[in-house]
Amino acid sequence: MYSVYRSTARFTPRFAFSALALTATLSFPTMADDSQRIDQLEQRLDSMQKQMTESSLEKVRLNGFFSTGYTRANNDAGYDEATEQSDLETLSLFGLQSTFSLSRNTDAVLQLVSRGSEDWDTELEWGYLRHQFSNGSELRAGKMRLPLFMESETLEIGYGQPWARPPEAVYDPVPVRSYLGADATYTINLSGSSIQTRAFAGHLDDDAASLGQTVNVELRNITGLTANWTNYLWTFRGVYAHAEATIGGTPPLGDEEKTEFMGLGLSYDDGSWLLMSELTRVEVDGFYQDTDSAYITLGYRVKEVTPYVTASWVESQDNYERDGTPLEVLDVRRQAYSLGFRWDMTTSVAMKVDWTHARGFGKTTGGLIGNQLDALAGNPGGRFDSTDVYTVRLDAAF
Amino acid sequence: MAIRRVSVPALLIALCLLSSVSRAELVIIGHHGGPDSITVQQVKDIYLNRSSRMPDGQRVVAFQLPAGNSMRDEFNDLITERNDAWLKSFWSRQVLTGKGHPPREVSSANSMKSVVSSTLGSIGYLDSTLVDDSVKVLLTPEP
Repeated sequence: MYSVYRSTARFTPRFAFSALALTATLSFPTMADDSQRIDQLEQRLDSMQKQMTESSLEKVRLNGFFSTGYTRANNDAGYDEATEQSDLETLSLFGLQSTFSLSRNTDAVLQLVSRGSEDWDTELEWGYLRHQFSNGSELRAGKMRLPLFMESETLEIGYGQPWARPPEAVYDPVPVRSYLGADATYTINLSGSSIQTRAFAGHLDDDAASLGQTVNVELRNITGLTANWTNYLWTFRGVYAHAEATIGGTPPLGDEEKTEFMGLGLSYDDGSWLLMSELTRVEVDGFYQDTDSAYITLGYRVKEVTPYVTASWVESQDNYERDGTPLEVLDVRRQAYSLGFRWDMTTSVAMKVDWTHARGFGKTTGGLIGNQLDALAGNPGGRFDSTDVYTVRLDAAF
Repeated sequence: MAIRRVSVPALLIALCLLSSVSRAELVIIGHHGGPDSITVQQVKDIYLNRSSRMPDGQRVVAFQLPAGNSMRDEFNDLITERNDAWLKSFWSRQVLTGKGHPPREVSSANSMKSVVSSTLGSIGYLDSTLVDDSVKVLLTPEP
């Protein structure tokens, strides 16, 4: 992380001089006070480094993340778009994030992401201005991640997550990620714990995949509130958001429909044991499915390896609204069980191996794209009752 | 072969001295302009991004030794109670979600001493045998 501001042109001449002096010193290893001189030079180098980090160079910070992975399923049901064909694109992405300090308490944050699933087109995922006040509050404005989930902020940063992929049951029913707007956050630090509340408002207009098509999703008048309590071991979270949704498709799935999102989250991390759980509800008037979902993940770190198990469930609550129409294929009932591990191979690189078994679709397609397209094509007999998905994934952060 | 007689008490004293000199003990150090002491919990809060201030209210600048250094392992055992893999993943999340930046890494114990002694609000850690007057010892954590 420091390499960015170490390699600066301004620093080069002095650095070169020190390096030269160091080399010169090192070439006479027999001299008695050499180690002392090396120490002195080292100290000078470090104080120069310090000056660098504290001066102009901290004005820009550059970070990035990268993921790639291999997915394959035992059939074409389509869990996370996995099929019997091996796939490398879905999990591959590259992200670049830079933070520009405008003043001591104000900065601009930019995140660009290229995804293999979108032909590596680069997209501005975040672009916002942030101001921090000394009383613990913070204001942001611009394009930001919709803070619906516990892992919303690290949604695409696989390195920051324990799993091979966030549990689909909870993370999939919301097909959009970032909105344009503003938020205000207030943090109260108590002794040994902290409470954070955030209010947000804005607008979202983006494309999403639905039934094999790209459809436009517009969320107007988004307003919401999140609350978070943590004692750095346990974390509890609650979220409520409201918007009017217009969702495209043939036929259109909604026109300015009242949309609500509710979620509860719980996590525990003591350095060895890891527990995460979220319970969410999406309610959209009209054809778009209302879903209740939940997952629970339990993991245990053994040095660099963290095995985990996840159980998740999703079920649509408004199947009657689509009864007798082709949109019945949107009905969903599904359970999924994952067994996997994260292995921190080297500093900044983690590998994940995961086996997920999904079942319990009832009379529905299980909300899986392969099954949905089969049913739409008039081939309901081709429906798969379960699926097994195998994933190997590499995540890096730098 | 002539064997010099060494009295048993003298030998014991010598051994004690030797062991006290060579026993690498972790100490938390700070700038002379900072507080005189700090608790394990306060150090932990600083190194796990829960607090950005020293006990006296100064904005803190934390330093750490590189991975693989035995004092860093000792520090992780006694203070953060987290391993390097956990810390790396934790800090990536903090950095990429804009919540903060990890303690600055210095290359050696000598560098640690020099940056801590020259940075206001600094905190770092060191092998007790390497401490000198340029820095202030704030805490010797009990193993």
